[in-house]
Amino acid sequence: MDTLGHILHGFDVALMPINLWYTFLGCLMGTIIGILPGIGPAAGIGLLIPITFGMDPTSALIMMAGIYYGAMYGGSTTSILINTPGEASSVMTALDGYQMAKKGRAGAALAVSAIGSFIAGTLGIVALTLLAVPLAAIALKFGPAEYFCLMVFALAAVSSLTGKSAAKGMMSTILGLMLATIGIDLQSGQPRYTMGVPELQDGVGFIVAVVGLFAIGEVFSNLEEHIKGKAEIIRLRGKLWLTREEWGRSIMPIVRGGLIGFFKGVLPGAGATIATMISYTVEKRVSKHPEKFGTGMIEGVAGPEAANNAATCGAMVPLLTLGIPGSGATAVLMGAFIMYGIQPGPLLFEKRPDLVWGLVDSMYIGNIMLLILNLPLIGLFVRILYIPTGILLSLILAISSIGVYSINGNTLELQMALMFGVVGYIFRKIDIPLAPMVLSLVLGGIMEQSFRQAMTISGADPRIFVGSGISITLLILAVVMVMLPVVLPRLRKLKEGPEDLES
Amino acid sequence: MLTDRIICAVTLVLAVVYFYATAQIPSLEIGDPLGPKAFPVLLGIALIIATVLLFIETLKAGAAGRPGLRLRREDRRHLLLIGGTTLWTALYFWTFDSAGYLVSTAVYLFVMMAVFNRGKSIANTLTAMLFALGSYVLFVKVLGVVLPAGILSF
Repeated sequence: MDTLGHILHGFDVALMPINLWYTFLGCLMGTIIGILPGIGPAAGIGLLIPITFGMDPTSALIMMAGIYYGAMYGGSTTSILINTPGEASSVMTALDGYQMAKKGRAGAALAVSAIGSFIAGTLGIVALTLLAVPLAAIALKFGPAEYFCLMVFALAAVSSLTGKSAAKGMMSTILGLMLATIGIDLQSGQPRYTMGVPELQDGVGFIVAVVGLFAIGEVFSNLEEHIKGKAEIIRLRGKLWLTREEWGRSIMPIVRGGLIGFFKGVLPGAGATIATMISYTVEKRVSKHPEKFGTGMIEGVAGPEAANNAATCGAMVPLLTLGIPGSGATAVLMGAFIMYGIQPGPLLFEKRPDLVWGLVDSMYIGNIMLLILNLPLIGLFVRILYIPTGILLSLILAISSIGVYSINGNTLELQMALMFGVVGYIFRKIDIPLAPMVLSLVLGGIMEQSFRQAMTISGADPRIFVGSGISITLLILAVVMVMLPVVLPRLRKLKEGPEDLES
Repeated sequence: MLTDRIICAVTLVLAVVYFYATAQIPSLEIGDPLGPKAFPVLLGIALIIATVLLFIETLKAGAAGRPGLRLRREDRRHLLLIGGTTLWTALYFWTFDSAGYLVSTAVYLFVMMAVFNRGKSIANTLTAMLFALGSYVLFVKVLGVVLPAGILSF
C-alpha cells in the first residue's frame, strides 16, 4: 500500500466507533485537564496511562494524544477568565485575553482562541501529514551513532531553551539521565544504583516520576498560591462569538501564528511557549497600534493561541518520525508508547502504518470535536473553575495516588512519587525546569544503548560520533543550542550600541 | 545568588556520590568494550561541568547585585504548611495498604479540605466521603483497577 493509501486507511481506523469514542473521551478529558489548575497535559497523560492497560494500543494512544492537544485548547480558558495561565504556553494569551474579559469581551476572547486553535491545529495536522513520510525516510538512514547525536542535540536544545538558566536546564537534563541509569543494566545484567531495593531493579518508574514532578509538585505550588490569595473569576457574559470587525482582525494573526507554531513545534525545546512569544511579538510589530497591546487586543489572543495549538501538531513530527520527543508532554506520550511495547520512530511507519495514520487522522476529527466542546459548551466547563481550589487540589492528590498505585500495587512507589513531588516543588521554586528531566528520563535508556552500540561497532573508538555528515551536523547544532543563551544577549547588546555593551 | 550557590554545592555532592556509586558497580566487559560504568562516568563529568557553568552564572549575577535568599515570616508560614502537607501525604501513602483506599482517602481528604477550604465542614465532609466512595466504585468495580480494600472487606 502506498503512503496515500495508508493515510486513507488511517481514517478507517480513526472513524471506527470505538476510536471515535476514545478521541472524544481524550478531547473531553484534555479540555478539563487544561482548565483545571494544578494539572497539565503531562501529568494528565501520566495519570491515565495505568487505566488504559489492557486497551488496544491504537485506541489508547488516540485517547492520550486527544488529552495532549485537548489540554492545549483548554489552557486558554484560565488565562482569559482568571489571568492564571495553566501552562507556560498560555502566558501570552493572558496579556490581552484577560483585559478583553475585563472589558466584557470574554466570550469573544474564548471564541477567537477556539477558532484560532481549530484553524491552526488543522493546518498543523496537514503539515504533519506531509512532513512525516520524508522525515521518516531520512531517519531510516540513522545508525546508533547518528541516533546518539540526535538525542544529544534534542537534549541540548531542550535544556538551553527551557527555563531561565541554561546551566540549570543542563543540570535537570543530566539528573534525568542519571535517574535513567538506575536499575539492571540490560547489556551486562548488573544492577546499578539500586541500593539493594528490589523495586528499583526495573528502574525508576516513569509514571511515578511524571505524576510526582508534574501533578504532586504542581499541586504543592498551587496550594501555596491558594493560601497567598484568591484569583477573581470573571463571569462569562454576552455572546460567545466574534463581531465581523474582530473576525477580520483575527484571521491573519491566526495564519501567521499557525505557521510559526508548527515550525517551532517541530524543533525540540520549549516549542509551544517560544512560538507563542514570537507570535505575540510579530503581531505587535505588524500592528498599526502596537501601544494598545496589553489592553485587550484580539490579535494578541488569536496569534499566540493559534501558535500554541499548531506547535502541538509540530511536536508530534519528531516524536512519530524520529522517536525523539521535544517537550515534557510529548516525552510522557513517548513513555506511553513504550509502555504499550511500541517504539516510535521511522520503523513504526513501516511496521504499524495503521497505528501511526490512525493516530494522525484521529487528530483531524479531534480538532472538530474540540471546536464543538470549546465553543457552545465552554460555559459548562468554566463551572469547574467555581469549585473551591482547596477541594480541587486535594482531590488531584488523591487521584494521583490511584494513578501511581494502579501500576504495580506498591506503596513504595507512592512514597517515591511524593519524593518526586517535593523535588518538583523545590525545582519550581529555584527555577530548575522539569521538562528536560522527564525528557532525559524517557530517552536515557535508549541514549545509553545507542552510545554503547556505536562504541561496540567502532571497537571503542569515539571517532564514530564524528564519522558521518549527519552526526557532525547534529553535534554542531547541539553546540549552537548550548551557546545560544550566551551569545544571543551579547549580539542583541552589540546591535543596541557599544555604550550598552560597556555598561 | 545564595540559592544558586546552594544548588551548586548540593549538585557537587550528588556528583561525588554518583561517582562513588559508579565505582561500586562490578565490571563484566564481555562483548561490550565499555561496560556498565562508562556512560554513568560521562554523566558525572557532565554534571560537574553544569555545576561549574551555574557557578559562573552566579558570579555574573552576583556582580549585577541580584537579591539573596531571604525568607519573610509569611514565606516561612507557607513553607511550614507545605511541609505539613508533605508529611500528611506521606502518612496517607503509608496507611494506603493497611487502612485501605476508602478509609485512608476519606480521612486524608477530610483533613486536607479542613485546612485548605476552611469553614465549610459539611461540604468538606460530604465531598471527602463521596469522592472516596465514588472513585473506589469507578476505578475498582467499573474500570477494574486494583486498589487496596484494607480494613473494609469489599
